[in-house]
Amino acid sequence: MKNKFKFITLAIVSLFFSRLASAEVAPGFNSWDDVIAAADGGQVNVYMWGGSDAINGFVDDFYGVPLKNDYNITLNRMPLAGTVDAVNQVLSEKEAGVTGDNGNIDLIWINGENFWTLKQADLLYGPFAAGLPNSQFVAWDNPAVNLDFGRPVDGMESPWSSAQFHFMYDSARSDYEDMPRNYGFLTKWISDNPGRFTYIRPGKGGFVGTRFVKQIFFELSGGHEQWVGPYNEELYNKWAPKVWALLNSWEKDLHRGGETYPTNNAEMHALFANGEVDMSFTQSPRGAGPTNSAGTTPPTTRAFAFYDNMIGDFNYWAIPYNAPNKAAALVYANLVLEPTLQAAQVQPANGFCCGWGISTAKVTSSDGVAAIQEAQNNLGDAAEDQGILARALVSDIAAEYQDKIEADWQANVLLK
Amino acid sequence: MGGDKLKIVLSLTPPLLIIGTLFFGGILYGFLQSLGYQPAIQKYDINFDAYYNVMFSERYAKLFWTGLGLNLWVSFVSTFLAAAFALFGALAIRKTFFAKKICNFIYSLNLPMPHLVVAVGMIFVFSQSGLLARFFTQIGFISSPSDFPILVKDKYGSGIILAYIWKEAAFFFVILMSVLQSLGENFEELAQSLGANKWQRFRYVILPLVMPNLFSASIIVFAFSFGSYEVPAILGVNYPQMLPVMAFEFFLNPDLNARSEGMALSMIIALIVMILVVIYFRLTQSKIRKD
Repeated sequence: MKNKFKFITLAIVSLFFSRLASAEVAPGFNSWDDVIAAADGGQVNVYMWGGSDAINGFVDDFYGVPLKNDYNITLNRMPLAGTVDAVNQVLSEKEAGVTGDNGNIDLIWINGENFWTLKQADLLYGPFAAGLPNSQFVAWDNPAVNLDFGRPVDGMESPWSSAQFHFMYDSARSDYEDMPRNYGFLTKWISDNPGRFTYIRPGKGGFVGTRFVKQIFFELSGGHEQWVGPYNEELYNKWAPKVWALLNSWEKDLHRGGETYPTNNAEMHALFANGEVDMSFTQSPRGAGPTNSAGTTPPTTRAFAFYDNMIGDFNYWAIPYNAPNKAAALVYANLVLEPTLQAAQVQPANGFCCGWGISTAKVTSSDGVAAIQEAQNNLGDAAEDQGILARALVSDIAAEYQDKIEADWQANVLLK
Repeated sequence: MGGDKLKIVLSLTPPLLIIGTLFFGGILYGFLQSLGYQPAIQKYDINFDAYYNVMFSERYAKLFWTGLGLNLWVSFVSTFLAAAFALFGALAIRKTFFAKKICNFIYSLNLPMPHLVVAVGMIFVFSQSGLLARFFTQIGFISSPSDFPILVKDKYGSGIILAYIWKEAAFFFVILMSVLQSLGENFEELAQSLGANKWQRFRYVILPLVMPNLFSASIIVFAFSFGSYEVPAILGVNYPQMLPVMAFEFFLNPDLNARSEGMALSMIIALIVMILVVIYFRLTQSKIRKD
């Protein structure tokens, strides 16, 4: 009893002090001015997937230049083949006992399972996201932002941009009006067009395929709402057999009879561009724009979305526990949320792939509003109607489903 | 005598240190992880769960055993065919003739080419949207590129086998040429003067002479193709999947608990390859002793 009392007193006292200490904007920094002063003259090592020249160029031009001119920070962008490489590096550094400011990575472009891995192993610096001045533009009350694959962000990563699953077709081969608008019609489309459809194998490196299958769960079960929240084994087991039955019923009419599936976006785009299949997937609010300008899809490629259950999510920046220059990392994470730069990443001419990381409604400055308006108006004809995308938008669900779907798809569809 | 010993020790130490730390260090560390020892995520238990999971659990057993089967099939077939092609190629052009130099060059050309490049080349040439498919459609031999037979990314591993034959035949060829050249033609001429016909000369004279080299080269090629990743990763299907590809997928899994399974699978591959290396050593040792 006495111990309990002691504990409660202690809790109240420490709560009091933590309230006082919350003047801290991020661990180790008392004010944003401290952060800027500490970052001055340093270098920031940004580790990010480097497979898109457009994104690489965007980061170098739109972030590298202001970082140098306004904050005297040198941007050192390190391209990765996959984000998991950075995760493995942080993990190896941990195993080798590299702590303090002695690591190599300041920032990782991250979300989903990779974030969860680092967070779970206590390998991240933070919480820092709410302390960034531009955090005011982030819709932190939206579960699509404060949950990453259903798991709490807890300020350990700060958003950069967003993406939403939908489809691409070639307007030289198919008509917009003929494209299916839900999985029911897709089923019919597949049997009417044997050999002309395939999807990315759900599994490692193919999370877009996992997402494609996840959405079937939403449609068959009659809605997305019941899937929000913690992992629900009973709900999953109820619908999984029906999903596998549907996918198996497609198999004979899939490309190559479902004998093999593309394992990633690049293979899927290649099949589409070679004319072997008639649909591909995109995650960009600009639809086919990014792949058309990269030349990986034919220039006549356009986008379409189902009317429901198109999963959208956010991607973030995280700072490893042993980042060598945490102040510069904070400045960078704040800079990318600047409304004019957010508008720049949506402008098609700038070549970036993804959508808003901030909530545009929260922006009030006149130059910010003007830039946002202009970007919205410039999306181009390779993009699907933004209203259709917005109405179909649903959030991603708990990360356990991901692993479960990948394993069960393998057992029930691939190995069948 | 003492000076010699010191010299041997001094000259052997640097390579042994590198081999010891990099090779055995890596193997040991991988072995520990395969036993579930992962301090980074506070796992200190030592057990064989990962090995059991990979080989016998409901989730992975089918993938593992079909993968092992495919591995053995691909390695045996590609090694055998590459050796056979190289043998006949070498026999055909070892005698001096006008195009010997050119043939020699063409045969050895793909030796320095990386496997990755060869694999991508296979896709360009043999896939259903590849050069050959388009060419045959163009000349009206088949009606559309999708009528072209499936040679890459097929479940029997034909694309992988083709790539290995293409690559490894050059390796066999170079080894066989040097053996055949060092033999000279005396043995054959002797056999011929004793009345042996062409087939007999090949079967009872040439083959026994090149066999030891051919066999040890085969084991190198077999072990290499058994454990290599890039060719099956590019030319394989999702199922059945060759073991190195499967191991790498475990490694890519952001769930750190899957790391143990990946390492266990790598250990199994390494074990099989090591057994082959031991056989190889035995064979070469006994051959040296005989000489």
